Amino acid sequence: MAAENWFQHALHRRPWRTQRQAFALAALSFVVALIIGALYLAQAAALSTTGRQLESLITQRNQIEQANEQLRAEIARLQSVPRLQDRARELGFVEAGRSDIEYLLVPGYNPDRDQLAVSRVEPASRQEIAPVYEETFLGWIQQQWDAFQRQGSINAGGSE
Amino acid sequence: MYPLQQEEIFRRRLPLVIGGLLIAALFLLGRLASFQFQLAPEVTTYLESLRNSGYSRTLRLADARGIIFDRGMEALAVNTLEYKIGISPVLVTDARRAATQLSALLNLNELETFEKITNRVPWVLLAPNVSAEVGQQVAQLDFLRSSLSIEPVPRRRYPQGTLASQVIGFVGGDLRGYYGVEGYYQEQLAGRERDRLISNIPFEVPQDNFSDRGNDVVLTIDRDIQFLAESELQRAIAESGSTRGTIIIMNPRNGDILAMASYPSFDPNNYSTITDNSVLVNPAIADQFEPGSIFKVVTMAVALETGAVTQYDGYFDNGQIQIGGITIRNWNRQAEGYVDMTQLLVNSLNVGAATIALRTGPTDFYSSLGRFGFGKTTGVDLEGEASGIMYVPGDSNWSESQLGTNSFGQGIATTPLQMLTAVNAIANDGLMMQPHVFYRLIDGERVQTSQPSTLGRPISAETAHIVRDMMVAVVRDGLDGNAQVPGYTIAGKTGTAEIPSPVGYEAGASIASFVGFLPAEDPQVSVLVRLDRPRDYWGSQVAAPVFQRLAERLVIMLKIPPDDIRQALRDEGGIVNRINR
Repeated sequence: MAAENWFQHALHRRPWRTQRQAFALAALSFVVALIIGALYLAQAAALSTTGRQLESLITQRNQIEQANEQLRAEIARLQSVPRLQDRARELGFVEAGRSDIEYLLVPGYNPDRDQLAVSRVEPASRQEIAPVYEETFLGWIQQQWDAFQRQGSINAGGSE
Repeated sequence: MYPLQQEEIFRRRLPLVIGGLLIAALFLLGRLASFQFQLAPEVTTYLESLRNSGYSRTLRLADARGIIFDRGMEALAVNTLEYKIGISPVLVTDARRAATQLSALLNLNELETFEKITNRVPWVLLAPNVSAEVGQQVAQLDFLRSSLSIEPVPRRRYPQGTLASQVIGFVGGDLRGYYGVEGYYQEQLAGRERDRLISNIPFEVPQDNFSDRGNDVVLTIDRDIQFLAESELQRAIAESGSTRGTIIIMNPRNGDILAMASYPSFDPNNYSTITDNSVLVNPAIADQFEPGSIFKVVTMAVALETGAVTQYDGYFDNGQIQIGGITIRNWNRQAEGYVDMTQLLVNSLNVGAATIALRTGPTDFYSSLGRFGFGKTTGVDLEGEASGIMYVPGDSNWSESQLGTNSFGQGIATTPLQMLTAVNAIANDGLMMQPHVFYRLIDGERVQTSQPSTLGRPISAETAHIVRDMMVAVVRDGLDGNAQVPGYTIAGKTGTAEIPSPVGYEAGASIASFVGFLPAEDPQVSVLVRLDRPRDYWGSQVAAPVFQRLAERLVIMLKIPPDDIRQALRDEGGIVNRINR
C-alpha cells in the first residue's frame, strides 16, 4: 500500500513523465500504423505483382492452347486421306486387292474375343494435383518481409 | 389586435408546416435509401457498368467449340484462330515502307495498300481473315506497332476439306452450327459464353474462370470409308454423266452410318462463297425421290409377312394388269408367263409387284409400309431430315391405282436413308435399327457411348430370311455379275425410277439405284447407290457396278473374309465380321 502511494506520489510530482507517456503512446501508435501501412503496401504490391504474373501466365496459356489447336488442325490436314494416298504412292505402295489378302485359319482360335477398347489417357486425379498447403504464420511474415524487400529493390532499381 | 391575430395564426400553422416539411424530408430520405438498397437489378447493373467503365471493360468470350472426330478419332472439325488486320493511317510514319511490307505479307496490291494507308481516316481494314502464321509475321513489324490493330477471330476449320461436309455442316460467323452434326449437336458442341472483366487496376487479380469448352463428338462415320464412297461417287458421276448422286454405307446390325456421300457438295471452309444454297442440304436425308424397283423388296416382304403370298406361290404374268383404271406394264413390256416370287424380283416385274400388292390389300399394305417407316422421318441425328411422301387410303390424294404403282416404287417418295433403313430391317433379321451418326460424347474426363436402338420389327426373322434369299438370287441370276464380288454372297436389288414432272414423267430420264448388303447370311455392311439422270438409263447398268466396286473395297477395309473362310471360322466356334462398337 505504501509502495503504491509512493509510485502515485512520484508520478504526480513529475508531470513531464505524463507528457512523455503520451508522446511515447503517440510514437508507438505511429510506429504501429507505419508497420501496418508497410505491411499493407507490401501485401498490395505483392498482390499486384502476382496479378501481373497471373495475367501473363493466362496469356501464355491461351497462346499455347491456340498453338495446340493450330497444330491439331495442321496434323489433321497432313493426315487427310488424299495426302496420305499421294505419299503412299510416292513411296511405292499400292492398294491391296482381294487377291493380295490371304486369310489363315488357326485351329481353336475364336476371333470373337473381347476387343481392347482404346481408352483415353486419364490425367492424374484431382487429389494428386491439388496443391499442398504448408504455410505457417511465421512463414507468411517471412514472405511478406521478402516481398517488401523485393519491392524495395525493384523501386531502387527503377530509380537508377 | 390585428398583428396579434396574425402571430397567433402563424404560431398555430408553424407546427403544421414543420410537420409537412418533415414528412417531405422523410419521403425524400426514403427514396434516397431505396435508390441505395432497392434498385432494380438491371438499373444496378447499368450503374455499376457506368461506374466501372472508366477503369474496366467486359469482354464476352465463347469457350472453344468441341471437336468432331470420326470413329477412328481422326479430326473432322477443329478450332483455329485467324486475324483481322486493320491500321490507323494517321499513326503511320513511313507509309511507303508500310505498304511494301504489308502488301507482301497480306498478299495485297501494293498500290491499293498505299492508298489505304495514306487515306486520312482514323482506321481502315486491310485484311478480314489472315492465317495465324501471317498474323504473327505482321505483329512483328515493330515500326507499325502503334498503328496496326491485330484482332484474333476464332474460326472453325475442316481439315479434311469437302469430306463428309453435308454430314458435318458448318459453323457460321456467329459461331453457331448450321446443318448436319454442327447444327444438330449445337448445344453439346458449343462452348459456354461468359463475360470476362478486364481491369486496368493492378490490384485486381484477373478473372480466369475454369474453361467450359464444348464437348467433343465422335461420329460413327469412318473417314476412310467416307473417302471411298465420295471417290466412287465422283467416278460414277463422271462416267455416267449423272447430275446428282448419293451413296450411303451403313452397318445394318446397329444402325451406324459409316459413310454418307452426295454430289454436288460444298467446302465448309469456304461456305460463304456458295451461291447455290441447296448444296448445303444433305440429299441423303432431305431429298425425296420415287425409289422405283428397289422398293419391290419391301412390297415382297409385306406380302410375305401378311400371308398374302408364300415364297412358293406364283402368278401368271401376261405383261400388264389393270388397277384403278390404269394399266401397269413390265419394264420390258413383255409377258413372262408363270412366274414364282423369286423370279418376280430377279426379273423386277412391275405386274408381279402390283399383283402381290393387290393380294395384300390396301389396309395391310399401307399399315405395313408405315411399320417400315415410310411417310415419317427416321429420326436420324442430323439437321434437316425430310419425312417422304406416302398417301394412304382416306387421303384426298390417294386412289386405288396407287396401290399398284406404289408396289414398284412409283407415286411414293422416300429419302435415300429411309429406303436403306427399311432394307436394313431385311438384312438384320427383321429388326429395324435407328440410323445414327452419333457414336461418343467426350465431356472432359467423361465419355458417353451411344447404344444402338431399334425402330421396331416390321417383319419376322423368317420373312426377312426369305426376302434376303430372293435378293441373293437377284444379284446371282439377274444382273450379269454387275454387283457380284467373287467369294462373297451378296443380296441386292436394282431400281430404275422415272422422274416425275408436272405433266407426267420425263421421257428418257431416270434415277438409277441399287441397294444391297453383304455377306448375305451375316450382313455387316449395307449400301445404297443413287444416281440421277445417268446417260445409261438402267440401274443394273449404272448403279450396280458402283456397288460392286464399293463392295470390293469394303470387304478389305472392314476385314470381311470370304464365305468359305467365314464358314470355316464358324465351324471353329467363332462369329466373324462383327464391327465392334
